[in-house]
Amino acid sequence: MLPLTHAFTLLFYVGSLILWFRALLSGGRGSGPTIAFGLAVAGVAAHALALAQFTTEYGQLPLTGLAPSLSTAALTIGVGLVATLGLGEGRRVGIVLVPVVILLEAVAVSLGIEPAPELLDFQGAWFAFHVSLAFVGLGGFTVAFASGLLYLVQLHELNTKRMGRLFQFTPPLATLDRLGRTGLVTGFITFTLALALGWLWTVSFRQSLDQSNPKVLWAIMCWLIFVVALGVRAGGGLKERRSALASVVGFSVIVILYLGLRLLSAHGGFFL
Amino acid sequence: MSPVSVVGVSHLTAPVEIRERFAFSPTEAEEALVRLRAQSEVKEAVLLSTCNRTELYVCPGGSETVLEAAVRVLSEKAGDVVGGTSEYLYRHDGEASVRHLYRVAGGLDSLVLGEAEIQGQVRDAYELAGRNLGTPSLAGAVLHRLFQSALAAGGRIRSTTPIGEGASSVASVAVELARKIFGGLEGRQVMILGAGSTSELVVEALGRDGIRGLVVSNRTYDRARELADRLSGRAVHFDEMPFELAKTDILIASTSAPHPLVTRDGFRQAREGSQGGPLLILDLAIPRDVESEVAGEPNVFLYNVDHLHEIMDDNLLKRRSSVPEAEVIVEEYARDFFRWYGARDVVPVIRSLRGRWDDVRQAEVERLWRKLAHLSEDDRGTVEAFSKQLLNKLLHDPTKRLKQGAGNGRGAEFIDAVRYLHDLDTLENDPPDGRGLDVKEEDEGMEARGPIVEDE
Repeated sequence: MLPLTHAFTLLFYVGSLILWFRALLSGGRGSGPTIAFGLAVAGVAAHALALAQFTTEYGQLPLTGLAPSLSTAALTIGVGLVATLGLGEGRRVGIVLVPVVILLEAVAVSLGIEPAPELLDFQGAWFAFHVSLAFVGLGGFTVAFASGLLYLVQLHELNTKRMGRLFQFTPPLATLDRLGRTGLVTGFITFTLALALGWLWTVSFRQSLDQSNPKVLWAIMCWLIFVVALGVRAGGGLKERRSALASVVGFSVIVILYLGLRLLSAHGGFFL
Repeated sequence: MSPVSVVGVSHLTAPVEIRERFAFSPTEAEEALVRLRAQSEVKEAVLLSTCNRTELYVCPGGSETVLEAAVRVLSEKAGDVVGGTSEYLYRHDGEASVRHLYRVAGGLDSLVLGEAEIQGQVRDAYELAGRNLGTPSLAGAVLHRLFQSALAAGGRIRSTTPIGEGASSVASVAVELARKIFGGLEGRQVMILGAGSTSELVVEALGRDGIRGLVVSNRTYDRARELADRLSGRAVHFDEMPFELAKTDILIASTSAPHPLVTRDGFRQAREGSQGGPLLILDLAIPRDVESEVAGEPNVFLYNVDHLHEIMDDNLLKRRSSVPEAEVIVEEYARDFFRWYGARDVVPVIRSLRGRWDDVRQAEVERLWRKLAHLSEDDRGTVEAFSKQLLNKLLHDPTKRLKQGAGNGRGAEFIDAVRYLHDLDTLENDPPDGRGLDVKEEDEGMEARGPIVEDE
């Protein structure tokens, strides 16, 4: 039952991606973007159902273990896309978000979505809040990345004085900037809360923070990248462009750091 | 007989000073249609009057009397025209008139290729004719079908081809650029530099989206005030322009100044201390009003006349490239229309054919009862059903072929042959209104396969 629901989830996401690219080729004309968004929403609903089934089946939230964590991270990004519902053309960030979601979910499915074999000492509500908030934070950064990428594309189209299909499809600069800012601010707040919870738990129950733990290292680096990405918005001039660029570069650095730390880490079965 | 004819003038045959003489207001159009019917054999008529064309579609088509009446209605409206109205009027009959309307509705015959307004104008013209302008409706069976399918063809052309894609005028390019930079125009400040008519057109186009404030600045203050009054804006003296520039989101410049009025240094000074949000500059002046170096300033999107024309040319090229695709759609809808129209002509023939052979059947069955008087009621019922089924089977293929022939433009030829071979001298003169599909319903009962008398 579980793999079947995940298969449907992937099917919806892949269908949505195909329609997003078709919509791009037609310059966003007609109902293409709406149908693509609708399919992505269906994918998110199926995805949520699949993870709810996981919770029922294993009696725990899909927050531990590499595959369940990746799937939950993918769902959080999907929910981020659904949250753009009221943004008109802003919903077209789906063309960037859906491939990210597909990649994470496909890796999760290929690894087999099952709980981690080892038990963590950090569990219960503290842990659930800590991980959920961290995923929401990273989801926010992913939305900022998608908005930033499309912002740079649209800016390029405007500066090269072209009004082709890419220009027609890509949302307005103001919409993308607003979406990117919302993603960053929401992400920063939730990620900071996640780190604070983790730190509080460690201080309360372990008395010391293991700074060599790759998870801790990565979390601190992510938080610093958030700070930099938000910081570049300060001041006048090209703050929107700087922010878009910072979101794109920051997200790429987060991904590279994660992959690097994973390769160096011995905890193969865990998120990090 | 041709189903429909059209007489009219358009931007392709007449300059604007002639076209405006032919223009009808809705009330004038109503009066003209009523007059047309009263004075002629016109059964159906639709008058389409836009700024680029005036066309009168009449049914029945191909009739000289009807066409003369249509030309008279248009000529009366135009009055005395140098060279006479006939110099500007064109006429299409039959298939050409049907294709013409589809091309018009699809924007293929428009001044700006693919413009969307024509679709609404065609709908309005059709609805006006469909109003209560006497009985029966002037938008009768033929024109109802024709205009409905023209609107469907136009809709399909716009939704499946890129014919309406991309802005095609300075004003629409400006609106599109503003939309892609600011999202919407709500709360945006617009400044016009100079009092040229192009700026006015752009502002009118922008105005539809609702802007926050409009400022007009010109070397001659009175002209600035005149334009500001017309556009419900505010005029400012020319030396106040830098101060206003700091608050501006969209600048439209179109003065006739011989040198740039907005230099890079002046721009920097003016924008110093401002929020630094995006600024869209449309420099429509020649020589240019804004130094090209201003484009290098943060968050400035500067478009001059060449940029705008390049964009428009690009878009028009894309639109033109979609014309063959649109023509295929026109052809498809025209074929459907003629298939429908042809089927209308064969309806009375099929009715007569069936009636003729049903009479024969009934007579033969009566004769049979006299010879086989001993048959029970049940047996008689079986024989009666057999005779009907046999007739249906015999007429099935001729009926089908007749309908197909009508759809392929060979209707008249087949009708003559059927009338001659079956001696149908009681053929109806006028086809019934739009009931071509009745034939199908009758025909469905004529099953050609299966046993005539079922086994016990």
